[in-house]
Parts: sequence; structure tokens; C-alpha cells
Amino acid sequence: MACINPVPKLYRSVIEDVIEGARHLFAEEGVEEQVLKDLKQLWETKVLQSKATEDFFRNSIHSPLFTLQLPHSLHQTLQSPTASLVIPAGRTLPKFTTAELGTSNSRENLAFSGYPIHVPAGVTLQTASGHLYKVNVPIMVTQTSGRASILQHPVQQVIQQLGQPSVPQLNPCCLQATTEKAQRMETVLQQPTILHSGTEDRKHLEKATCDTLVPPGNEHKIASEALLSQPESSQYIGLPGVVFPPQVSQTDSNVEPVVSVSASMIQNLHGGPLFKGPQGTRDQHVSDVQLHLLKNRKFECDSVKQPRNIEEPSSLPVSEKGSNSQMDLSIQVTDDDINEIIQIDGTGDTSSNDETGSTRDVDENEFLGIIDAGDLKVLEEEADSISNEDSTTNSSDNEDSQIDIVEEDPLNSGDDVSEQDMSDLFDTDNVIVCQYDKIHRSKNKWKFYLKDGIMCFGGRDYVFAKAIGDAEW
Amino acid sequence: MDADSDVALDILITNVVCVFRTRCHLNLRKIALEGANVIYKRDVGKVLMKLRKPRITATIWSSGKIICTGATSEEEAKFGARRLARSLQKLGFQVIFTDFKVVNVLAVCNMPFEIRLPEFTKNNRPHASYEPELHPAVCYRIKSLRATLQIFSTGSITVTEMKPFLHHWNLGWPWDLC
Repeated sequence: MACINPVPKLYRSVIEDVIEGARHLFAEEGVEEQVLKDLKQLWETKVLQSKATEDFFRNSIHSPLFTLQLPHSLHQTLQSPTASLVIPAGRTLPKFTTAELGTSNSRENLAFSGYPIHVPAGVTLQTASGHLYKVNVPIMVTQTSGRASILQHPVQQVIQQLGQPSVPQLNPCCLQATTEKAQRMETVLQQPTILHSGTEDRKHLEKATCDTLVPPGNEHKIASEALLSQPESSQYIGLPGVVFPPQVSQTDSNVEPVVSVSASMIQNLHGGPLFKGPQGTRDQHVSDVQLHLLKNRKFECDSVKQPRNIEEPSSLPVSEKGSNSQMDLSIQVTDDDINEIIQIDGTGDTSSNDETGSTRDVDENEFLGIIDAGDLKVLEEEADSISNEDSTTNSSDNEDSQIDIVEEDPLNSGDDVSEQDMSDLFDTDNVIVCQYDKIHRSKNKWKFYLKDGIMCFGGRDYVFAKAIGDAEW
Repeated sequence: MDADSDVALDILITNVVCVFRTRCHLNLRKIALEGANVIYKRDVGKVLMKLRKPRITATIWSSGKIICTGATSEEEAKFGARRLARSLQKLGFQVIFTDFKVVNVLAVCNMPFEIRLPEFTKNNRPHASYEPELHPAVCYRIKSLRATLQIFSTGSITVTEMKPFLHHWNLGWPWDLC
């Protein structure tokens, strides 16, 4: 199999450790828990944004599988009521009908061959990323594009609406599934969720890949977390799940309103950054999306984006948080702020962790000892003034022996002593922050014996326990 | 033997050592952090800065004294020293280039013949000193020029110089070697 990338796990563990360690400190200081969560969320989003690690988000979920947990009422043949069915997400999502489930009641082995998926009520879906979606109403999960995508349905969600100003068509939906955990979820909602009440209008947004989650429903929220990998970019956006108004219950239970949620496949992501909604699809979504911000949400929602998404405000009231409690999904939602700024540029340097970022900055100077070209120019100008002053005062003092402080020849501003030819030789972003066992030099041959380091190379982070290097100066 | 023709025989200046002062205190840590191509030897309290263009290595002390080594000619040494002072100036120090002095010029010469050291020492008693157990070369000092030559039995001679600006190849070689 492909080699496992340890970096995201490491970073995740670091983040977790730090947050846990700081938790009681925060409590002692009287700082709100929310601040800690904000910090964690911000941290994660920065890591993702920096593209420093590959599949940061996805790897945290660890398996691109879609697990279908059928309630025990539905399945009789399941070994346990909570038996879960691992479904390969995306590409091989099986297709089964409500009828099948309804009749068989024991469909645990769902041959997920592809979209769409009709999920009956009372089903708990678990996506590969580990998010659980409890579907209390029959829903239809569809994929609007050929692209595989991971449907992430947080069972417990604190959904944070992420919108992107650059992607106007994107309709983030805010959904708060539960009040239990106010964790930030990373959700990408590419397409607005379409909720049809009454009729089953399958509006499949033409999102590149879209998992549609159809919640019929009585005041049940389904947190859908979809990450849609952009064809244009390798970013994915975390969007809050969709809130389905309780009015869905109006719909006939047989009717499955279709909610299309754009999902970006984490797998398709090349790098960490989150957010970027798929660009094109959206005009239709707008009309269909129902957004609702729940009070209990502990995440920031970008209310600006909501109006875009809401097109059927009246028809679909949003479910209240009362139903949140029923959801035991947890979603990680990225910060709102991230949505607003999609930057792929040089944030790679301060990527990964705050701590490594800061130490990296310091160590970079120590390690490389480079003067920026810009700085050099500034210094040169300063030096010019200094040397000019010197020359004027010492112009008559060229004879050495007479005066104590005599400059033989004033250092001109780069006349005879020219600029270093390597001033801006390598203002590189490739940095290694590490400890050293031994650094050895012979004439101009260097040997490095390093240990315990993080390497930022080509925008990506690599972690090593030992490194040996050779260089010639 | 024709001393003149032999003297010009492949004598090469391999190293010129010079010193100069900047007349200002230098913050070694700042140089180490911000300077380019520096080695900070904190234990001995100096910073080595290597330059590429005139290939020189400078040892910088915080007092402002700088020793510059590795140049292949005196002009180059001065040029490199000035460039070094310039780079320090760019780092922000109020550097004044003073007291430039060449303290040592090392040259190497190769004789096409071998030398019998004990005999040579005997013939050049006041100037030559030879202690084979300590060092395999004869140490020949020319007081007037303040030069020290190390004469090896293979015929290679290294000349080190204390006096600045010496044309030691004008020196008459002691040709009583055989």
C-alpha cells in the first residue's frame, strides 16, 4: 500500500496534546473553553491552509470508508444493534433503496457500488473520515458528479459555516447537530443543501461531486459534512452541515427530499488547505439551500454567505437545537475566517504548528544566516550615510600615525567593497528545524548529522528522527 | 648556480594573513544570526566569516579586531578585508576600517633538487637551526627580512614572513646546499 504519511498524525497528536495540556490552565485562568476550541480550530485550519501536510484532514479520519450503521430495528440479521458496515466511500458507495432496507431490515452488507444511496430513516452513517451521521429520516445520498467524494456526516456536529467569498456559488449550510460537542468541524459544503419539502425534487446540483443527503424529517438534523475536492484546486472547504428544518417532516415519509450537499473528497485533496468551494455549480443551489444558524452552534458562521444559500427560507424552517441532541455526530468545522481568505501563498513557512512555526523562524536565521536583499538595501543606505559622514570627518586624516582613529580609506558604499554576491542567493522557503548531533567541516566540505527535525521542503512538511547531509560551500 | 634563475622557480604565495580593526564593539551574536556564511564559535568567543570572492576566512572578535586569512596576495587580502568590513557595516555596526596590517605571508617554493640538511645547517650556522627530532626541516631565519624559511630535504621550502610587504624572492638564496 502507499506509505503512510506520519506527519498529519503527528501534527494532530501535537495539537491534541497541547490543547489538552492547556485546558486546565485555561480553566484556571478563567478563560472560556470556547477560546480553547477556537484556538484548536484556528490551529488546524492554519495547518490545513498551509498545505504543509498531505491530507491532513483526511488522514485524521483515517479511513475513507463509509460506514453504515443500521439501527437494530432495521436489521435483524445484524449481529449487533450497533453493527456498522464499512462502506468504501465515494466511488463504491452502494446503492440501495429504501425499499430494500425497509423490507430486508437487515441490510448491513450493502453493496455500495455507486450513488445514489437511499438511506432509510434511523440509519447512522459513518463516513470514512469517521464522522457519523445519524439519519433519522430517510435520506438520499447522491453524487452529482462522477468524482468520488467522501460524504462526511457528522453525527455530532458543531457545524461551522464556511463560505468562501471567492466562490459565491458556494452555499454553506450551517447545521448544528448536537449540543453535546461543540467541536469545530471541518466540513466542506460545496453545494447548498437542497431540501425539498413535500415533493421529492431531486435537484442535483451540478457540483463536481456532490453527496446529497436527503433528510426527510421530523426535526432531525442531519449534519452533513461534505468535502468536495475541487477540480481546480486542491483545497477543500469545510462547511457546516446542513440543517434540515423540521418541516421536512411534512414530507411524506416515503418521499425523500433530496438534499444535495456538495462534498469534497478529501482524498482528492492534494494538500491540506481547506476551503475552496467548487466553482461553478452553484447558481442552482442557491435557490435550494436552506440555511439556518442555530444558537447552540459554537462555531462562527459566516452569515454573509447564508443569504446566498437561502432560497427557500420560508418553506423549510430550520430544526431547532432540540433535535440536535438527537444527533450524536461530531463534525469538525473549520473556522469561518479561513473561508474568507483563500491563500495559498507563502504561508507555508509558518505552517504546521504555531510552535514549530515560531521556532522555525528563529532557527531559520540561525541556520541559514541570510540577509534578505531588501534588508541589504536598507542597510546599504544606512551605511552610505554613515560612511559619508566618516569620509568627511576623516578626509584630512589619511595619514595614519597622527590621529588615533583614522580610517585609511573610508568604506565606500559598495565601490571597492562590493555587494555580496550571495545576498539574495537563496531566500529559500525550504527550512529544516532540528537538533544536531554533529556538524563537521573540512575546508569547504560540510557534513551534517542531524536528529529530531521537521523539514519544510517544497511547501510540505517532513518529519525525521535522523538525517545525514553533505554539502559543499 | 645562477641564483636569479632559480629564485624565480615556482614560488607561490599561498596565504596572506592580515589584521585590521573596526574600532567599534561588535555584537557577535548578531553577526552570527544575521550574517551570511558565518560560524559562531561561542566557546572561544569568535565568529568566523568566510568570503567566497576573495577566498578568505575572517576571525572576528567582539572587541572589533579582525584577522583575515586565506588570501593569495596582499592586495587581495586588503580587498577582502575591506569587503568584510563592508558586510559588517551592512549589518549595522559602525565600522571604521583602520589599522590594516599584513602580518604574515606564506609562500611555498620547490627546489628541483634535494637538500642535505645536516650539511646545510653546518654551513649556515648562525641562521639555520636544525633539530631533526623535533621537526624534519631546517629553520632558516633571515633577520634582515624577518623571514623564516623551512627547508625540507625534498627541496620544498616554505617561507613565512613577519615583515609586511616583503619581496623575499629578491633575497639571495643561500646556495651552499650541496
